[in-house]
Amino acid sequence: MSGLEETSNDLLKVKRDQELDADADEELEDDFLVDSTRYLFYRERKEWADLEPVPQDDGPNPVVKIAYSEKFSDVFDYFRALLKTDERSERALALTAEAIELNAANYTVWHYRRVLLQSLSKDLREEMRYITDIIEEQPKNYQVWHHRRMVVEWLNDPSKELDFIADILSQDAKNYHAWQHRQWVIQEYKLWDNELEFVETLLEEDVRNNSAWNQRHFVISQTTGFSDPVVVEREIQYCLNQIKKAPHNESAWNYLKGMLQDRGLSTQPGLLERVQELKETHCSPYLLAFLFDCYEDALENSTEEEQKGTLEMALEICQLLAEEKDTIRREYWRFLGRSLKKKYGNFVEPTADAQEPPASVPGHQESS
Amino acid sequence: MAEEESHLEEFEQIDFLRDRHVRFFRRTLQVLPERYASLETTRLTIIFFALSGLDVLDALDVIDRNTMIDWIYSLQVMPTEDESNLSRCGFRGSSHIGIPYSMKGPGVFHPYDSGHVAMTYTGLCSLLILGDDLSRVNKKACLAGLRALQLEDGSFYAVPEGSENDIRFIYCAASICYILDDWSGMDIEKAIDYIRGSLTYDNGFGQGAGRESHGGWTYCAIASLCLMGRLEEALSQRELDRIRRWCVMRQQNGFHGRPNKPVDTCYSFWVGATLELLNVFQYTNFDKNRSFILSTQDWLVGGFAKWPDSHPDPLHAYLGLCGLSLIGEPDLRKVHPALNITQRAFEHLQQLQQTWRDSSDGGCSGQH
Repeated sequence: MSGLEETSNDLLKVKRDQELDADADEELEDDFLVDSTRYLFYRERKEWADLEPVPQDDGPNPVVKIAYSEKFSDVFDYFRALLKTDERSERALALTAEAIELNAANYTVWHYRRVLLQSLSKDLREEMRYITDIIEEQPKNYQVWHHRRMVVEWLNDPSKELDFIADILSQDAKNYHAWQHRQWVIQEYKLWDNELEFVETLLEEDVRNNSAWNQRHFVISQTTGFSDPVVVEREIQYCLNQIKKAPHNESAWNYLKGMLQDRGLSTQPGLLERVQELKETHCSPYLLAFLFDCYEDALENSTEEEQKGTLEMALEICQLLAEEKDTIRREYWRFLGRSLKKKYGNFVEPTADAQEPPASVPGHQESS
Repeated sequence: MAEEESHLEEFEQIDFLRDRHVRFFRRTLQVLPERYASLETTRLTIIFFALSGLDVLDALDVIDRNTMIDWIYSLQVMPTEDESNLSRCGFRGSSHIGIPYSMKGPGVFHPYDSGHVAMTYTGLCSLLILGDDLSRVNKKACLAGLRALQLEDGSFYAVPEGSENDIRFIYCAASICYILDDWSGMDIEKAIDYIRGSLTYDNGFGQGAGRESHGGWTYCAIASLCLMGRLEEALSQRELDRIRRWCVMRQQNGFHGRPNKPVDTCYSFWVGATLELLNVFQYTNFDKNRSFILSTQDWLVGGFAKWPDSHPDPLHAYLGLCGLSLIGEPDLRKVHPALNITQRAFEHLQQLQQTWRDSSDGGCSGQH
């Protein structure tokens, strides 16, 4: 089965490769002079003798059967036994940690562990340390982040969260789980104060970090909002500065457009001119698409006379994108050009052109 | 097709290795090594990838349908005699809890046994793919289990014990209701509210409000609305055009899931299918998409990986195939873009649903 890869974290794979299977156990026993204790299966442990292990039962024709080692099966046979009677004990809690080490994606183990933590009134600060370690090892697992959130909620203490998440993001600045957890903490506990600064630090490290741009929008929309013209101008300036540094950056352009699109791109005074200036020295498909969107917005709000000139400019942009600047989306830009012409081009001579797409293709409807 | 082939000689001529992929999926259905342990609780989704993959390849004839159908039904959480566990019903991902193998009810009480929304979805799809008539599905129980998972904000948990909640599980819920032809399983209005709330400033969808736009969640949003039959009600034409733009911009050669992230085979389906549902997939670049997907093909063991020169896995193998199907790769069955099963399996579902409607007492179709 060489070549088949699990869909979860690579670190887990490495851990498993290093794990002793039953055969290796026996070999090492002979060579292990320092520590003579060998791994005991649960079924061999005196203190577990009262419990009847429960094997997995896939029936006569199992499908996608995973071939577990003896050690793995043994741990989970006893996990299933504990579940069946819903035992609440220290030994059960200890076993969940072993089960988690073998398969941290098993959500039932995590749920049972939470039940035990509460039942036994365990020290949740210690649990925070535990879950911190696990997430550091497996930062792309859903269950571990959910568990952390539950513990933070029980403790009602978010004080470690922002630093912890920052550390995870320093290893992978776009980890979706980390960003999600961060947003939850900030919103739940109102920790907005330093977040814009944090975002700017990340954008300085990588101006193309789309997650950081998203966070920027999140922070501002939930604090000052975007209605204040001072804020808007500041943000426009910020975007344009970043674009000058790194023109080929979809995230910056998306942010600029996203901030302004609902109030009308063409209504922002001076913006069109600033972008047209940038076109000469800092062109990109995103800049051109932004111009197109400005012209399209202008068309909606202008008189028929004004429309003709604007339409021509918009169609020029479409052609430039289709033929030269964004050829992978050639058909799409041509389609947009056709749609625009159909909508506004009644007074323009129809040009011999590619086939009209079928009438059912949306985009030809009246604007809503 | 000859024209297409000579055009492809400009790129490296890569063959689509149908037989390797058939073998890949068949092996997946048999035994996986221990390093796949993290997939234990989601084995039913792995079966779905393999079965649907074989269906797309028109290679289901090698499957022993009946034993597989029986095994899937053994994963159904059956109501107990007193029906006290109805809100926990649905399908399990595997036998990991330790319930003894059984294909029928009544259910056995177990303090930790419950369904998982993604397993119910993939379980139903897998049954359909195998030609089953769903007559052994306890629809009332599945729908009760589903209702128990929806939160006030419209999103869904995965399991009744609690888990993270987000747009993925709305998609699973919508698919379940669609398949069972019964929308009493969810509050559609609330789900639509959550979906709309997940629309980002840059016109994609995040996993929830405020979160970064992402190809997978965008698929969940749009596909859910399509299954509900509410796409054009929930989103204005302007919004739909903006979403089209966000999706189209994901193509780099293959597709990525977020701006400024690397391309990954699975997004050829997540974003491709979304574009198809929005009627603009035809405007994407099929050649570059195909070349990228095939560059991730494992010529030795079959399947596809997320990136070139990486190990293949069932999810990417399946979605890579679906990505190729969308662009019309010869000898691949067409895939229903919203339900993510073949058109063939979909037609089987339609026939079933007609039978349910025709049955005199109205059967289980409920309100509609």
